[in-house]
Amino acid sequence: MTAIDLPVAGKRPMSPTAVVMLLLLPIAVINAIGFLWPVVNLLRMSFRDSEASGALLETSGLTTWINVLSDSFTLDLITGSIGVSLFITVLTLVCSYPIALYLHRCSGLWRTVLLVLVIAPLLTSAVVRTYGWIAILSDQGLIANALLALGITPPRLMFNLTGVIIGLTEILMPYMILALLSGFGRLDPRFEEAALTLGATPWKTFWRVVVPLTAPGMALGCLLCFVLAISSFVTPKLLGGGRVFLLATEIYDQAIVTLNWPMAAALSIIILVLFGFALALYTRALRRIA
Amino acid sequence: MIRTAPEETAGLKQGEGFLSLRGLTRRYGDFVAVDDFNLDVPKGELVAFLGPSGCGKTTSLRMIAGLAPSTSGHIVVNGRDITGVPPYQRDMGLVFQSYALFPHMDIAKNVAFGLEMRKVPKAEAAERVREAIAMVRLTGKEHHRPAQLSGGQQQRVALARALVVRPSILLLDEPLSNLDAKLRDEMRNEIRDIQKRLGITAVFVTHDQMEALTICDKVVVMNHGKLEQMGTPHEIYEHPKTAFVAGFVGRINRLAGKASGGVAEVAGLKVAAPGFNGPVEVMVRPHRVSLSTDGVQADGERHALPGTVTRATFAGDILEYEVEAGGTIMKTEAATRGGEAVLAPGTPVTLSWRPQDTYVYAAS
Repeated sequence: MTAIDLPVAGKRPMSPTAVVMLLLLPIAVINAIGFLWPVVNLLRMSFRDSEASGALLETSGLTTWINVLSDSFTLDLITGSIGVSLFITVLTLVCSYPIALYLHRCSGLWRTVLLVLVIAPLLTSAVVRTYGWIAILSDQGLIANALLALGITPPRLMFNLTGVIIGLTEILMPYMILALLSGFGRLDPRFEEAALTLGATPWKTFWRVVVPLTAPGMALGCLLCFVLAISSFVTPKLLGGGRVFLLATEIYDQAIVTLNWPMAAALSIIILVLFGFALALYTRALRRIA
Repeated sequence: MIRTAPEETAGLKQGEGFLSLRGLTRRYGDFVAVDDFNLDVPKGELVAFLGPSGCGKTTSLRMIAGLAPSTSGHIVVNGRDITGVPPYQRDMGLVFQSYALFPHMDIAKNVAFGLEMRKVPKAEAAERVREAIAMVRLTGKEHHRPAQLSGGQQQRVALARALVVRPSILLLDEPLSNLDAKLRDEMRNEIRDIQKRLGITAVFVTHDQMEALTICDKVVVMNHGKLEQMGTPHEIYEHPKTAFVAGFVGRINRLAGKASGGVAEVAGLKVAAPGFNGPVEVMVRPHRVSLSTDGVQADGERHALPGTVTRATFAGDILEYEVEAGGTIMKTEAATRGGEAVLAPGTPVTLSWRPQDTYVYAAS
């Protein structure tokens, strides 16, 4: 009798790599069908030639891309969308930061209650929340009536960029707050106390200690909100009232109204490229912070 | 509660204490964390706040640093009442238990932070940072991040960072409790050496009585927010004023007895207990108790108590016995000299100790 268990055919355990591969297979298939394939299709579509009526031709060419990259309307659209999204991102950060900082310092039941309040808006769709803003911002809305009652002529808060910025900022705030909180792990109140005893005023302590230590959370939140802002569609569509031109609304118009599918595809690819840039910027920022 | 009026504190003369606490009190609702704390620390002395967790020692330190508000009372440094002064104008160096080194700055920047906040000229600041880092023997580590250093090294950076600004008072909040035993002894001596060399007034908070006795000029023993006793390590250890101090600082044997007419009767012994009446606790430290098998009789020189060995522990440098005597378990310990026999449990013995090693307290 032998004391050694010899490997038995058919019972050999799989190598760890094989197990990992097998476990990753389902999500890889879903991604390939649900993401990669549509992107490839979009790319191909953006090179298709089409008639003025929108009918697609069988031939391919660079016509659409030349139009997109030379037409001042699309170039303004791209830079404008980036600008508005960046502005919304910064505004969201400024509005969310104090809330996140306060939440980080809360504990127990109070923290849970506040967290639920922060997350609750995410349970309703952006469409519903946008209609909520319409009720507040419209010419007969809450703010306008309140200002009129005080004898002030209310400014237009809807169907312009102001409305879009107000609505998107509020809608993106929960994402920003959660991202900030997830990045606040390094912020120990002892660091602030150390800075204070070393002679730093609360203002200096904030800028020299709190801000650097929360930078990873800020980077994550900004990435998330920028990406969500530049690809947002419902809020700019409804609160912009067709007068605000942003990439996502323009893609919709090109695809559904003008029926210029190659143009819609090309603009979609541009958004994807912008995502790529944002992500690259984020990873670089993170490496510099850490 | 006696409270010192502000005008009295303002007129406090120097020499009474470089750091003075006058009726310092901190209440959280009904809970009194620190109760009417009065203290004078002469310039250049190191005083240890010693007590169990929750005794108010850390709260007191944080009030001195300005990080926690006081409910009433005054903190006076060098004749100046700083009770209402914010922490960044107090000129104190604080070393945290967790070190609290800024993780996003390297060692040199951490140490330079306080100088930068005080707007010290760049060249002078660089020189002082270099000196401070050299003082804690970390030259060459200037551009390391705190996370790259060991606990002991981080502790030394924290010390350098607190001292480089030349604070009027150095505050240390359990600075050694995150270090292992060997490093703790080393750091304790290092902190003491540096403190003496700089002649800086310092407050050292600890729950470790060994640490308190060995590092400081004076020990303040605290319990339940109250000052139990203040004195030199020798006074605290040899003449504990309260049963709490006797029990908290060093090891102790307790015997319950009854006193009347200045004499306490405890387990058949008569112990001098001037001024006591009613139930008392009689205490004696284990290493002051001798154990013999010859049946020593009590005389005027020694108290003696017969008993039976229940446990013997040979710990190399010391030999410990637990002896059933006087209705309780008494501990004894003696340094080993080599060659002595370890008595087996069940051996009848006699415990004896000198009357001056006996402490008597009213039973609580």
